[in-house]
Amino acid sequence: MFFVGLDIGSSMTKVVIINEHDEVIVRILGPTGAEHRRLANKVMQDALQLADLTFDKISYVMATGYGRLNVPFADRQMSEITCQAAGVHTIFPGVKTAIDIGGQDAKGLKIDRGRLVDFVMNDKCAAGTGRFLEVLAETLGIRVEDFGNLSLQAKDKVVVNNICTVFARDEITARISEGKPIADVIAGVHDAIAGRVVNMVKRIKIEPEIVFTAGLATNIGVVKAMEQHTGFKVSIPPNPFTTVALGAAVLGKQIVFKSLEKGEPIKRKERSLEEARFFSSGEAK
Amino acid sequence: MTFFMGIDIGSQNSKGVVINEEAILARYKCSSGINYNSTAGTIKEELFKIKPIADISYTMATGCGADNVFYADEKVYDIKCSARGITYFSDSVRTLIEVGARSTRVIRLSEKGKVINFSMNDRCAAGGGIFLQVIANVLRIDLEGVGRLSLQSKNPITFNTGCAVFGETEAITRVCEGFSKEDILAGAHKALAEKISAMVTKIGLEEKCALAGGGGLDVGLVKSIENKIGTELIVPSQPEYISALGAAIMARQKFMSCQ
Repeated sequence: MFFVGLDIGSSMTKVVIINEHDEVIVRILGPTGAEHRRLANKVMQDALQLADLTFDKISYVMATGYGRLNVPFADRQMSEITCQAAGVHTIFPGVKTAIDIGGQDAKGLKIDRGRLVDFVMNDKCAAGTGRFLEVLAETLGIRVEDFGNLSLQAKDKVVVNNICTVFARDEITARISEGKPIADVIAGVHDAIAGRVVNMVKRIKIEPEIVFTAGLATNIGVVKAMEQHTGFKVSIPPNPFTTVALGAAVLGKQIVFKSLEKGEPIKRKERSLEEARFFSSGEAK
Repeated sequence: MTFFMGIDIGSQNSKGVVINEEAILARYKCSSGINYNSTAGTIKEELFKIKPIADISYTMATGCGADNVFYADEKVYDIKCSARGITYFSDSVRTLIEVGARSTRVIRLSEKGKVINFSMNDRCAAGGGIFLQVIANVLRIDLEGVGRLSLQSKNPITFNTGCAVFGETEAITRVCEGFSKEDILAGAHKALAEKISAMVTKIGLEEKCALAGGGGLDVGLVKSIENKIGTELIVPSQPEYISALGAAIMARQKFMSCQ
């Protein structure tokens, strides 16, 4: 039996296919773009091809992420927060706190035995999200991917006082023109972002084991800063981008198993792998 | 003849004004750049080119780079300068909205033109002119053309954010969805006007109300704020010089009182 988790995020679309033992068969990542409805279909077909499966072999498709309602072939939709809790728990069964910093938002989840207990989220202000680093990467003319390693060369941390990304950019430009080393500035930026997110997550009380996921978990500088600010070691999954999609697949599997146990038919939607038309709803001209 | 100078080093643009006892003699504006010291130097040189004069009796500096105006006799807070500057145009202004690149200030003035109270977005750039700048940039439109285009809109879009950084992402999404430049710009004006109107409410609106700073050059923004707060705005000519002009007038007052 095979289960699909499809996570349509604001910048990336992720697909994970698992078997009944929670083993990942296929994992793919692609840019979402503006026309994510059309892409959902394409990414799904790519994943099936990679797994050497046909669509009728899939027992359940769970869609999540902000574009989850635009997946015409999904059996069910669930919020990315519920899926995240299930996903990190599958990899780290002892997880109590999950912190997720993506391109557009930051979230903190309190998890008890794989169940979501509480969460906090910031999607109103760019400070404390991946956008903060992207804006500063543009200003410094350095790729975001190189930030982690560069920050390891820092001898000192430049203090970033401004919370607002726009004001922080001005502040950093001023520090650079004063001649502060780039590595020290980047280390300061990592410290600022970790400080902000940890402060937010403190509202739901941080307990180990802490799992850190999404884009910023691939940045060694931010990971180290998170450990400093939380005071605990932070676990990073081997694929920090696809934990939500994994959780979606796992939740789909649980639904199927529950139905099988009770001897009920599996509740599924009418599925079609047809391309969804982007401008068909009349919401845009 | 005595001359006085006001220099305003802003976060985006820097402005300089030279006055004598009666009138404005020269104005100059340029980008602030990264090195405020050299910008301050350039402004002085250029002003002297426009109006060749022997010496300046007193210079006051203001704005976020006031410390870098190495030739200034005194530094003065920008809120005071803006308040002083607007009284040059009208002494019946009781509420002054100044829209700058980074921050917007709403200033309540007394009958004598003194600052009673003010509000300013100092922790978050939402409410500052930069919101419009990033969206104009996404649409590849010069800031000067923004107001005119925005006024042609019939269905302004609604922005879900006031944050300049997220506003950029949202504008890109709307472009991809096929919304027109006019509707996106008008939406941006509406969003900014809402933020500014909230600041006005906090201070309390008392007429007459004026709009100055670089935002005063944007007819679309002026209209949007007027619609939102429900009163007509006085917009001085060359509104971006208001703070530099105020600094020059204060320099003159200071010099005269010492004589």
